[in-house]
Amino acid sequence: MAYIGSAVSGILDTKLVAGKGQYTADVSLPDMGHMAVVRSPYAHARILSIDTSAARQHPGVRIVATGAEIKQWSKPIPHTLNPSAFGGKTADIYCLAIDRVHYVGTPVAAVVADTRHAATEAANLIEVEYADLPVVIDAERALEPDSPLLYPEWETNELMHVRFQGGDVERAFADADHILDDTLRLHRHTATPLEPRAALAHYDDRAERLTLWVSTQAPHPLRTTLANTLQMDENDIQVIQPQVGGAFGVKIPTYQEDPLACLLSKRTGKPVKWIEERTEHLMAGGHAREQTLKFSVACKADGTVTGLKVRIIGDVGALAAVGGWGMSYVASFVVPGPYKIPNCEVDLSIVVTNKGPWNAYRGFGKEAASFLMDRVMDRVADTVQMDRAAVRLKNFVPKDEFPYVQISGATLDSGDYVKALQDVMDKAGYHTFAEEQQRLRAQGRYIGMGVGFELTPEGGCIPDSFIGGYEGATVRVSPSGQVTVLTGVTSPGSGNETGIAQIVADALGVPLSTVRVVQGDTQACPYGLGNWSSRSLFMGGSASLYAAREVHHKVLRVAASMLEAVPEDLNCEQGRIRVKGQADREVAFNDVAEYVHKRAFDHHAFDMEPGLESTRYFRMGNIHHVPDDKGRINTYPSYPYAACVAVVEVDVETGVITLLRYVTVHDCGTVINPLLVEGQFQGAVAQGLGGLIYEQLSYDDNGQLQTGTFMDYTLPTAVEVPSVEIHHQEVPSPYTPLGTKGAGESGVSSPFGTIVSAVENALAPFGVKIHDTPLTPQRVWRMIQTAKNGNNGGAKA
Amino acid sequence: MQTTIQLIVNNTPCEATVDTRTLLVDFLRDQLDLTGTHLGCATGNCGACTVMLDGLTVKACTILAADVAGSTVTTIEGWTQDARQSGDLHPIQAAFVKHHALQCGFCTPGMVLSVQQLLKEKPHPTEAEIRHGIAGNLCRCTGYASIVKAVQEIATTTSLSPGGRGLG
Repeated sequence: MAYIGSAVSGILDTKLVAGKGQYTADVSLPDMGHMAVVRSPYAHARILSIDTSAARQHPGVRIVATGAEIKQWSKPIPHTLNPSAFGGKTADIYCLAIDRVHYVGTPVAAVVADTRHAATEAANLIEVEYADLPVVIDAERALEPDSPLLYPEWETNELMHVRFQGGDVERAFADADHILDDTLRLHRHTATPLEPRAALAHYDDRAERLTLWVSTQAPHPLRTTLANTLQMDENDIQVIQPQVGGAFGVKIPTYQEDPLACLLSKRTGKPVKWIEERTEHLMAGGHAREQTLKFSVACKADGTVTGLKVRIIGDVGALAAVGGWGMSYVASFVVPGPYKIPNCEVDLSIVVTNKGPWNAYRGFGKEAASFLMDRVMDRVADTVQMDRAAVRLKNFVPKDEFPYVQISGATLDSGDYVKALQDVMDKAGYHTFAEEQQRLRAQGRYIGMGVGFELTPEGGCIPDSFIGGYEGATVRVSPSGQVTVLTGVTSPGSGNETGIAQIVADALGVPLSTVRVVQGDTQACPYGLGNWSSRSLFMGGSASLYAAREVHHKVLRVAASMLEAVPEDLNCEQGRIRVKGQADREVAFNDVAEYVHKRAFDHHAFDMEPGLESTRYFRMGNIHHVPDDKGRINTYPSYPYAACVAVVEVDVETGVITLLRYVTVHDCGTVINPLLVEGQFQGAVAQGLGGLIYEQLSYDDNGQLQTGTFMDYTLPTAVEVPSVEIHHQEVPSPYTPLGTKGAGESGVSSPFGTIVSAVENALAPFGVKIHDTPLTPQRVWRMIQTAKNGNNGGAKA
Repeated sequence: MQTTIQLIVNNTPCEATVDTRTLLVDFLRDQLDLTGTHLGCATGNCGACTVMLDGLTVKACTILAADVAGSTVTTIEGWTQDARQSGDLHPIQAAFVKHHALQCGFCTPGMVLSVQQLLKEKPHPTEAEIRHGIAGNLCRCTGYASIVKAVQEIATTTSLSPGGRGLG
């Protein structure tokens, strides 16, 4: 184990730090055209006519397309997750709107021209005549019988209704010492990676072949959906993922602009490049989080939670093909998280409104469940007058009850939640904080400490979709002993290429520098499902391990013959294969590799299949899609978690919150590379913090986005994000060969519950209770004023 | 409208004809193929397009190419080349690699240039000064902790004597 567990720097870092990363926008082809997209300025309207005549005559314009042409040229884009497969409604989504727009930013026409300037000018010349329709931007309003309908044929705005139930909930409530009700609201925000979406499509008319360079997380599924949309053979499409500048979920699915650029390349016979503008991204790149979470909890006087009823209303914006609505489904699937609450029911309505469609964002609904359960525990603690951490400790699933099946079928794999929380409390000085708090309060400073716990189900596997619980990899050794790993997973900056190289280098016993990881090319890599749900290392890494072991076995077999030993007596380290305990009997890994390739008919390699290459697939063993006796299936195989403590200071004159400390004990099973895991966790906390306090996709009553640039959609800077104190608790997964669990997503969920709890603690002298996010200074200031005036019901901004 | 500009980019004099609407960042990327400078927001907020103009860092999405006629522009490519005269990574870049002060790498060239500007002005910055010094560069991946750590290490270990190899 030379590399596994060590803090190896990212294998791409030397290149990236010199500006040598090649992102999609950096790829250029001769004579390529530039695409501009015309988007709806209305949140809800019928398209009456589109006049493209002036645009078509504009100098440099190659092609103009509207929904009418698109419908002739292509099929609808297959849904990443089709709501109809979950008993929900559905609609056909084409590359461009056909006759109706459902949100500001809906793509309605496209232009390709010789230059970006010409394309933008021509796009401005396209005249679209709209008949505006009544707008609904509030999900609860959208559920009312007289609400405007986005898709009249549905006769409702409810995309889907889901219910999970277990135990005897009514009995639990009847026997309760306390029953508490509350309504929480999470606001709309988004991943917004720094690299905008981008695509370069090249249809080669002579070869009748399409190549798409694209900023994606999932090249193979993208190729499959392109083939479907464009009505081409998959064999005639190659998808290449250059370096990706951050993704966080939004680059998982096939976007409308991807097949659109391909179609326009095919029609013009020349390459077409599209680079998204930030405003386009904030309007139409995909939103997340906005949900109403109502709960009613039954508990005993000693803090034991005996029953829970949850009602979730997910405001998923308009329907797109990208499957973002699934996040609200997952929010309901995860309840009650890490807690043992057998009498529990969750009722979910996923609702469409005239706002931007949801798209995957790190957390994928787990942050909503995490926030909900943290608030439930805090409320119970406050009511029974117990410590907030003590209530969590009392209600956790005990460590000897894994695998533990929740009401949804979520089967928690392993862990020690109690120890994680106790450890983080010790490390954060939880027990002595009150003294410091009192001391500072005497000086007029308001600091507070909060606890939180996030459970982050990973490696999602949804039946009949490309959201699947398996992965493939090829390990190939060249005649000079160089190792190539080709994976179905990809790395949009998450570092799994380094972790996979570490695993393979250890499995083969070769220097890390000899291992090259190739990802994101459908022509080269085995079919795989890409990067999301923290799956890349624990699934892609496991497939790579299996393939490497198979190759290693062959290498040792040949080496054993050369050294007149048996394979079991050999070991290989840093490319030297030795007979254990006999330093003088050795052969170089490279020499064995050369022998296998050049001397397949000589005796050391003769009784073995030639070649040093293996492709293996790995499947998670604890996913089941056959319903159990209660009708439940398990769609997540890995359940990493993090116990957290936050310390904040609130300026009560301005409402500004400063996060002073964030301490965590995190379990992602075996840690392959602490540098990478900690980097991911720190970045995830920054996104959770940003989402809680700084970022908001805000709409006015007409459905106009008011925060469409980074001038007003504010991301946290280095000044706002403290360095997180990260500690590891390694409880190995029983279901992966190295004990790895998902890592990368964790950290984004806990800030919601943990920091909210800390802010309430800081503002306890005023009796502030927090129900809604974001915690902007204005809103926090109002909460303080409202509480001072005797109403602690929380303020609405 | 087109105009012709003369300037020095990465130590090389160049003359180019540009559309007067062209931003410096697009000029560098599209006309000079210097793709190490990235475009993230086009509103001057994210800092991915940070370059050096006449020795000071600027956001290249806030400046027209036509306005830099007669100036000296240094991008990450030119700065790296200057720094690598001895064949090694520049200490700032080496520290970024050691601490994995990047993930996707999109903000990194701009961040590195902002760090060199900070260290030129304040060779031994406090943590707060480091954080304020890079506040014009957004990073969506790292949460900044590893970047701060890398800069702290450079600030405490690198010799800044006038005769030695500076951080410029």
